[in-house]
Amino acid sequence: MYGNLIDALPAVLSLGNIFAVVIGVIAGICVGALPGLSATMAISVLIPFTFGMDPLVALGMMAGIYNGAMYGGSIPAVLLRIPGTPAAVATSFDGYPMAQQGRGGYALQVAVVSSALGGIASALVLMLLAPPLAKVTLLFGPTEIFWVAVFGMSAIVFLLGGDIIKGLISAAFGVFVSLIGVDTITGYERYTFGHLELLDGINIVVLLVGLYALPPAIGLLEEVRDFDTQNTGRLNTTSIWKAIPSMLKYWKTWLRSSVIGVFVGILPGAGGSMAAFLSYNEARRASKNPEDWGKGEPEGVAASETSNNADTAAALIPALTLGIPGTAVAAVMLGGLLIHGLQPGPMLFRDNPEIVFGFMWQFLFAAILLIFLGGALATNSFAQVLRLPRPLLGAIIIALVFIGVYSINNRMFDVYLMLGFGLIGYFMDKLKFPLPPVVLGLILGGFAEQNLRLALRIGGGDWSILASSPTAKVLIAMVLLVIVSPIISRRLRARKASKKVAA
Amino acid sequence: MFKKTLATILLSALSATAFADYPDKPIAVIVGYSAGGGTDVLARVVGKYLEKELGDDASVVVKNQPGAGGQIGFTSVAKAKPDGYTLGTFNLPAALALTFDRHAAYDADSFDYIANVVHDPNTIVVSRNSPYRSLDELIEAAKAKPRSLSVALASLGGNDHFSALLMEAAAGVDFNLIPFEGASMARTTLMGGHVEVGTMALSQTVGFEDDLRVLAVLDDQRSAYAPDVPTAKEQGYDVEMGSYRGFVAPKGLPDALESRLEAAFRHLADNQDLRQELTAQGNSLDIVVGEDYRELAERQSDIAGDLWKHQPWK
Repeated sequence: MYGNLIDALPAVLSLGNIFAVVIGVIAGICVGALPGLSATMAISVLIPFTFGMDPLVALGMMAGIYNGAMYGGSIPAVLLRIPGTPAAVATSFDGYPMAQQGRGGYALQVAVVSSALGGIASALVLMLLAPPLAKVTLLFGPTEIFWVAVFGMSAIVFLLGGDIIKGLISAAFGVFVSLIGVDTITGYERYTFGHLELLDGINIVVLLVGLYALPPAIGLLEEVRDFDTQNTGRLNTTSIWKAIPSMLKYWKTWLRSSVIGVFVGILPGAGGSMAAFLSYNEARRASKNPEDWGKGEPEGVAASETSNNADTAAALIPALTLGIPGTAVAAVMLGGLLIHGLQPGPMLFRDNPEIVFGFMWQFLFAAILLIFLGGALATNSFAQVLRLPRPLLGAIIIALVFIGVYSINNRMFDVYLMLGFGLIGYFMDKLKFPLPPVVLGLILGGFAEQNLRLALRIGGGDWSILASSPTAKVLIAMVLLVIVSPIISRRLRARKASKKVAA
Repeated sequence: MFKKTLATILLSALSATAFADYPDKPIAVIVGYSAGGGTDVLARVVGKYLEKELGDDASVVVKNQPGAGGQIGFTSVAKAKPDGYTLGTFNLPAALALTFDRHAAYDADSFDYIANVVHDPNTIVVSRNSPYRSLDELIEAAKAKPRSLSVALASLGGNDHFSALLMEAAAGVDFNLIPFEGASMARTTLMGGHVEVGTMALSQTVGFEDDLRVLAVLDDQRSAYAPDVPTAKEQGYDVEMGSYRGFVAPKGLPDALESRLEAAFRHLADNQDLRQELTAQGNSLDIVVGEDYRELAERQSDIAGDLWKHQPWK
């Protein structure tokens, strides 16, 4: 089962493929360092340009960008208290106070080492779990895939954050978009308005570019923000190799946060920012000096950065084995695979082992490279990214987005569609509607609907088919657990509180 | 009068030389599917050999216009200028079948048929663990439990679907048809035992001999890929269905160009390198040129039209 893993290694180590990962990591750090630009955006802009490339080169760049951006987000989080990516919010809690105390350099070094460790843990878990999971995916027929989709949608609740109504509206919008196109089961056209271009539904990359890339690019243009870069000037860095020994005492946090990050990654629906918050809270709870947290405790940076990278490769486990991406980034990466004619699922492991296992190695190398590229070489130089002229950057991104989206299907229709989604995304951004539920609603909603109907059709209309297999029963139990456990824990807490009052 | 005649002579002389120079710029082959898919790979491979056949300067460029089950690409071929510089790949019966079940801006008469290149017969196939070992056993089971035997189709209105409909008619049974989104999804579900039967193309079963059992090939003769598998005809069911992939041009191609292109494809029929390269990809070369190809297309169109008339699928 793991023999293919070793076989895939030589191709990954070829000069071109290593170079792709290096470029990806550097680009990812830069993108992550720029507030507003995220890994999802960078990868979705990149995908159309990878058409002509060897699949491993393209995937290597994606793996690099993903890992790089997850660390890069910590740079402005530490130096400016502006998280470069949503997943870096928790990093700013302690990172920024450290920078104010003149320890910004050390904070970034903790961040890069933690990010790398989280990434390595994640890649190892992907390597260990995906092959055996791919073996059992034949157990997943329409019934089981329906339940996985329902499970993912119930986990969206975690993503809703502050405003549940806005989150649900976002998710519903995603589900609506999933309806567009020919219904493959009856052949009827839904919301296509006679446009042939809509018959196949909305290409996920077009939607993601519109929602994730266009609004921040417009943001770069409309807001002439002069960053106060005084902190970047005085990072006070010593060599990272000298700094590492002093970090070894965080090993417990690294371990705990890796586990949390990996676990959150595997769950469809949750993402890097949730992993970072969870592990920050857990680390603080376990700390001997919780009162120092928020005032510049390096361990807080370590906790959040470890787990937002530990989420990366793990998020690909359901995506690669079942073809169900759990996060927006995983969804774009699947889009990247599909563009290269690689259909995710068990067949991917069987037909293209060199690519799928090579991809896993690339995740591992990207994580290791983070220490060298992000830490040893250039923490100082990456901080300078913040001084790039923002309007120029915005203009370049918009140009790339147009070319990229056109080239997916060689048609302007997609560009107009992307502009429409861009407009929607822009207003969603201004009105504080969350974006991840849209993506998950689109993917999981579509899966749930189609597979429910396929399952019922196979069962001749008998609903009992939905609970007929052991796999389905396990999945149903998991769905119930996700829905019921918050209610129970709230009850318990309420009872405890009332007991205290009574006592 | 004299001037006009002269002009005509000059013009025709000019156009004659123009044809003699053909092709003096790249020939675009429009593929209605994404890069990397089966039809795309075919177009690129055949394009390479076609360049050699057409002479030293010829260049063939594949243009992908995916969408709507190939309809976007087929439509733009039909509407292109018939000057020999736009050709398109053509998938039968899909390209013509879709003109029945939805609005299409072209029909069978919108094209000049140059050559079919590959033929991929459909099959009746079950999982390795299935209790059915022959077509007869399967049909018996279907007769015992009407509408309960589930059959995985790659899509509605395609050759998988037509295979199942023709089989139903030939054997007098009713299947429970389950249209999936794409051939690989249908195959995975069949391999996992979630559905009982598949009608996928033979090329889809190549490499899956350990997981699938092909009960019949829906062709008039056994396939070189599976010489041990009997045809449906041998087992008493007169069913033939498969997919054909070839090349067409927009209607109105000048005769000189049409015969030039047809000759090129006739030569390709004997090209062993091409045959080997296609075989390696699971495609059987089946070159049908010109008028014969048009007749093939019309027959396929009639089959689809007939099925649509009697058992419309939407």
